[in-house]
Amino acid sequence: MEIIAFSVLLLPLLSSFVTLIFLRKHGNIASLLSVATAGGILVFSCYLIFNGGNNTFAWDATWLKLADWELRFGFLIDGPSRLLLFVVAFVGFLIHLFSLGYMADDSAKARYFGGLSIFMFSMLGITLADNLIMIFVFWELVGFSSYLLIAHYFSTEEAANASQKAFIVNRVGDFGFLIGIVLTYWTFGTVNIAELADLVDFDSTMISTGLCLALACGFIGKSAQFPLHVWLPDAMAGPTPVSALIHAATMVAAGIFLLVRIDFLFTTEALSLLAYLGAAMGLYAGFCALVQRDIKKILAYSTLSQLGYMAAAFGLGMPGLAMFHLMTHAFFKALMFLGSGAVIHACHHEQDIFNYGGLRKKMPLTAFTFLIGVLAISGVNFLSGYFSKDAILLTAYNSSLPIFVILYLGALLTSFYMFRLYFITFEGSPRSKESKAAVEVTSLMVGPLIILALLSVLGGYHQLFPFSIVGFVLDDLQSVAEMPNHLWMIVLGTFAWIAGSIAAKLVYSGSPSDDPLSEKSPAFFNLCSSKLFFDEIYGFYVKRIQDPFARFVEVMELLFISGLMVRGAAGCAGLFALLGKICYNGKIHAYGFWFILGTIGFIAYAAGLFGEF
Amino acid sequence: METITPHHFLALSALLFAIGFLGVVIRRNLMLVLMSLELMLNGINLALVSFSRVGLNLDGGLFVFFIMTVAAAEVAVGLALLVALYKKRQSVFSENLNLLSN
Repeated sequence: MEIIAFSVLLLPLLSSFVTLIFLRKHGNIASLLSVATAGGILVFSCYLIFNGGNNTFAWDATWLKLADWELRFGFLIDGPSRLLLFVVAFVGFLIHLFSLGYMADDSAKARYFGGLSIFMFSMLGITLADNLIMIFVFWELVGFSSYLLIAHYFSTEEAANASQKAFIVNRVGDFGFLIGIVLTYWTFGTVNIAELADLVDFDSTMISTGLCLALACGFIGKSAQFPLHVWLPDAMAGPTPVSALIHAATMVAAGIFLLVRIDFLFTTEALSLLAYLGAAMGLYAGFCALVQRDIKKILAYSTLSQLGYMAAAFGLGMPGLAMFHLMTHAFFKALMFLGSGAVIHACHHEQDIFNYGGLRKKMPLTAFTFLIGVLAISGVNFLSGYFSKDAILLTAYNSSLPIFVILYLGALLTSFYMFRLYFITFEGSPRSKESKAAVEVTSLMVGPLIILALLSVLGGYHQLFPFSIVGFVLDDLQSVAEMPNHLWMIVLGTFAWIAGSIAAKLVYSGSPSDDPLSEKSPAFFNLCSSKLFFDEIYGFYVKRIQDPFARFVEVMELLFISGLMVRGAAGCAGLFALLGKICYNGKIHAYGFWFILGTIGFIAYAAGLFGEF
Repeated sequence: METITPHHFLALSALLFAIGFLGVVIRRNLMLVLMSLELMLNGINLALVSFSRVGLNLDGGLFVFFIMTVAAAEVAVGLALLVALYKKRQSVFSENLNLLSN
């Protein structure tokens, strides 16, 4: 079985190497190779998921050995990892297919598909890894591939800056994660997840809030949660399938997966902190999404908000629910991102929703599947989002009212901004020549949309999935099913999406060429547009505090290290050399004089003229 | 009448040595420098001989023979070098022999 695990891991790596070495100039072959690899991953993953039945599969071997410290390389395939494996392999394959159409006339296809393969390799590494250090290694690798793919259009300044921003902001989170790993090793003497679980099971007093919060920093950076959320909206500068794969369905969800993997390390305080953090993110991102004009940024903020839901579910002690929402979210968010990709492709890279309009008549399939995604994320009854999101809301309702209120407001906002997006993009009449000329995209792109739409409809029915995939979430779903207030929740949930959609219809019907909200309540609009000034605050911090400090350190370095120490040492030697050079004048008399003087000096010394020794 | 004591010999040898030394340091003509070196050696020889006499043994005298042998060899090599130098550079003045100084 470990052979299969190795195959699934190394296949994309091999593909990206082949692309890098042989296929740089052959974009078409590279793209086919990458899609074939994704297909292979899907097949091997299915084997991994179903072969082991419902048992946990663990295997490891020594990776490297330093004295008595050993780093092990291993696989741990259990419930959450099977679920994520399914999402990564399946959604990843669909997005690869979609990319074939979307990137058909891109000049740097080989680089793009090579990057996708590297990403698949790294992401599968996180999914299968059995210890924290291995997770960290692959964690950095997904960060790298995300950087690579965001900067695909590196000739535009926006993409170049966004990729750097994503990379640097992630470093901040990963630093905390690294500290957490070191602390874990210090406290427990191991970083193997199964061993950690046993240790905590044995002695639950070993866990501490500081430790798990440090580990959660990794989640905060990668899943773009408060206060490191600023990179995700900017990351939309990359190609749209990349946004769908990395910044919606898989990589950002890896943060949640990490939390679920180490959930036994979390204390009650840390959990409630995460719950509030997630809930606040759900609401905050909703407000931000409300006023965005760029179709992808709306979806990016919506991703932030849904990740907040997952964090809240985790914080409420329901890791299974978080994983369940991760899965349904991967379906409908990948669907909407790919749908937006289709729209962007059809409108020749126009991304401002106020330049769209009336696309439903021109792109009926895209519009229909997108509508399904909107309905699913808004929590329309009996679609996938309804099951996962309302389960989270119900849990919150029964355990913590403040979190429920925040999350519920977030749900209202979600349906409002999602229907806003749908109405402005697909209804009304075209508002630019690009949208007038738009036509339905090729079947290669519509195919994945339809499959994802089906999953967005049916993804909530866990009975439809094999037990190997959803086995992990069943316990939590069962406990949700046994909670009180079900009927009340259904009423509230239904009210949320109906109210949101009607409000959106009222505000955004017709065919506005500018955001009607900015006229109706400019103060609110401006507040939302400001995104609470996070970018400005960070910019201010970097410019006014960090840069001057860096300059100060630079001056100190110039003055002391490179000045006093390096130059000083060289200067001393130079000074002696100068003195020596004066003596070395090419006059044989002088040499004779010094020689004899020296000899006399030695003799005098030997004779004890300078005192006894 | 004053007798000649070993001190006189030593004073003379020191004088010879000093003259030789000054010659080495001051003279520019390498021929004269070579001669001054010989003078210094002879100053040393004189001192050794007088020590030998004072100490009533032949140690110093023995040393002198060695020094004279070495000095003869040295002069032979030195003069040969000087001749070769003159053939090559047409000069035996030390200020012209500064090829390595820069």
